[in-house]
Amino acid sequence: MTVFGFLDWLWVVLYLLIMVGAGVLFYRLGRRGQSDFFLAGRGLPWWLPAASVYATHTATDTPMWFAGVVYRYGLAGIWYSFFAAWCAISAFVSTRIFRRSLAYTQAEWNTIRFSGLGAELLRGWMSGWQVFMSMFILGWVGIAMGKVCQYLFDWPVWVGLVVFSSMCAAYVMASGYWGVIMADFLQGVIAFAVILIVSVWGMLAAGGPSGIIDKLAAMGQSSRLNPFSFSGWFTGDFPIAWFLTMMVIALLGGFGMGTSIDWYVEAQRIQSARTVRDASYSIWWGTALVLMRNAVWAPAILGFYVLYPNIQDTKEYEMAWFRIGFDYLPVGMVGFFFAGIIAIHISTISAVLNLGAMYFTRDLYLHYWKRTATETELVWVGRLATLVLLIGSFFYGLMMEEITSWLIFALWIMAAGVWLPNILQVVWWRFNAWGYLSSWIANLGLSWLLVWVLPSFGVIPELPDYQQFWVLMILGALIYVPITFLTRPDDLDHLVRYYVMSRPIGWWGPIRREAQRRGLLARANA
Amino acid sequence: MPLIRRNWTPAEADEWTREDWYAIVMSPLAYLLLTVGTALSMMLLPAGYLILAAGALVTILMHWVIDPKLKVVSSEYEKRQHDYLEELERSARWKEDNNG
Repeated sequence: MTVFGFLDWLWVVLYLLIMVGAGVLFYRLGRRGQSDFFLAGRGLPWWLPAASVYATHTATDTPMWFAGVVYRYGLAGIWYSFFAAWCAISAFVSTRIFRRSLAYTQAEWNTIRFSGLGAELLRGWMSGWQVFMSMFILGWVGIAMGKVCQYLFDWPVWVGLVVFSSMCAAYVMASGYWGVIMADFLQGVIAFAVILIVSVWGMLAAGGPSGIIDKLAAMGQSSRLNPFSFSGWFTGDFPIAWFLTMMVIALLGGFGMGTSIDWYVEAQRIQSARTVRDASYSIWWGTALVLMRNAVWAPAILGFYVLYPNIQDTKEYEMAWFRIGFDYLPVGMVGFFFAGIIAIHISTISAVLNLGAMYFTRDLYLHYWKRTATETELVWVGRLATLVLLIGSFFYGLMMEEITSWLIFALWIMAAGVWLPNILQVVWWRFNAWGYLSSWIANLGLSWLLVWVLPSFGVIPELPDYQQFWVLMILGALIYVPITFLTRPDDLDHLVRYYVMSRPIGWWGPIRREAQRRGLLARANA
Repeated sequence: MPLIRRNWTPAEADEWTREDWYAIVMSPLAYLLLTVGTALSMMLLPAGYLILAAGALVTILMHWVIDPKLKVVSSEYEKRQHDYLEELERSARWKEDNNG
């Protein structure tokens, strides 16, 4: 248990006042309508959504799972976090295409890209799924905060989960995305400062960079300094085959939409940027900060490793970065560190609360339930949805035991069977709503079978995660490719309209020729 | 024709060209170099400084290549955005679209 002094509590109280103040300050802007409550009026310069991308993807659980992989694999563990690099290509391809669609959500984009009953089913499915996923992520991130507070103050886990998520929900309900984005900017700055200070402090506590290098050498663990230290091509628990698979998933995934679970959050930031150019740079720079933040964390975890080299319990070494801060920072700075952790926590919670509420309000309530709803009514529905998501997240959070296993499961399973369809929907005109919908349904069934059910009954061996990805991708394709060709292409008028508006990359020849024949491209470019 | 084009008409900028592909190749490379470079620089390893500097260089080059095109794409698209937004709202509320 850590004891806080007056200065420590002062940091925490000041920080919380600023956050709640953001809600009050932007209340008037947030209540103007759905465009403001969910997209800040689509007028943000690139650096604001970039800060939000960075802040949102710096969650309380992030230093836990990241510490877990770096403690296990050394600097090579950095590659577990390189999934974020899908934004490298996305910033200049799918971000550009999505921004031009103007869709509030990925579910809405589905009805812009596809047509007919399939598109509507897809929108309903996608929005329902995203509301569920928002609750899931809120629970998963919230319980991480519960664990930190338990470690710090010996509080029961549910206290940290409930208290801070509820405070955050207060300003999100008041000001919507305006509050989220402005608080994210501040939280991003605080979080980066805290991460840098604590990490450098931790390295110094372990003897500084040269001390860590010397101690690793003495322990016969110098390979931990090599970011490309793998366990063989296909052997061991960290093979090159895994690295190459991850690179394919992350980088080529940038041609698609939804190839990473982070896409859905980024999509909101993309649409809140004032121009296509701002959208591209916000995604690129936000992710660059995420990757460099990981690179700042990693050496500090190496420092923790040389201090405590023989920890076997995952739950214990996942707390490495938190322990560095709370065990080694002086009194007065511990509160600053804790305020930084609250910033890290709240930035993610606020973003996901607003995102889930947007899917519910825009895609379920407005589109399927009450299409005559006024703007004021939609803002109130957004607030109510935020509250429901918050309460739901408490139940999910209390059901999760270990952060790492949930995260790795989610990363692989969400990516595997729908990874290629997520790209095909962007780059291939013939891929239709039925093909895409079937890939989602097939993936849910196949992933549970392949990862959990069949190995549990001894029907198949437990495959390494990178092999699961390829198998799920191939099995899924055996279902959705035939379904795509057995069902009709999307309506030609609909596809032409989408093409002219979004100008997608890839195999769109027939649609492009039709648009040219109708004189739409010439008119669009006049 | 220059290897890297920096002057665009709106119609030309709307096409996918080799400048986009240069950015598509340079962008992941920049991420990789910045990540590895930062980690190794934190350990005060000389190789880290070199890799980080290379990452910064690739980042600058990438922006130099793609920025003129993105500016033109953006300004041209913003002219049509208002009409598209109206169409989007009609679609969300299931209203008849007369533009199709």
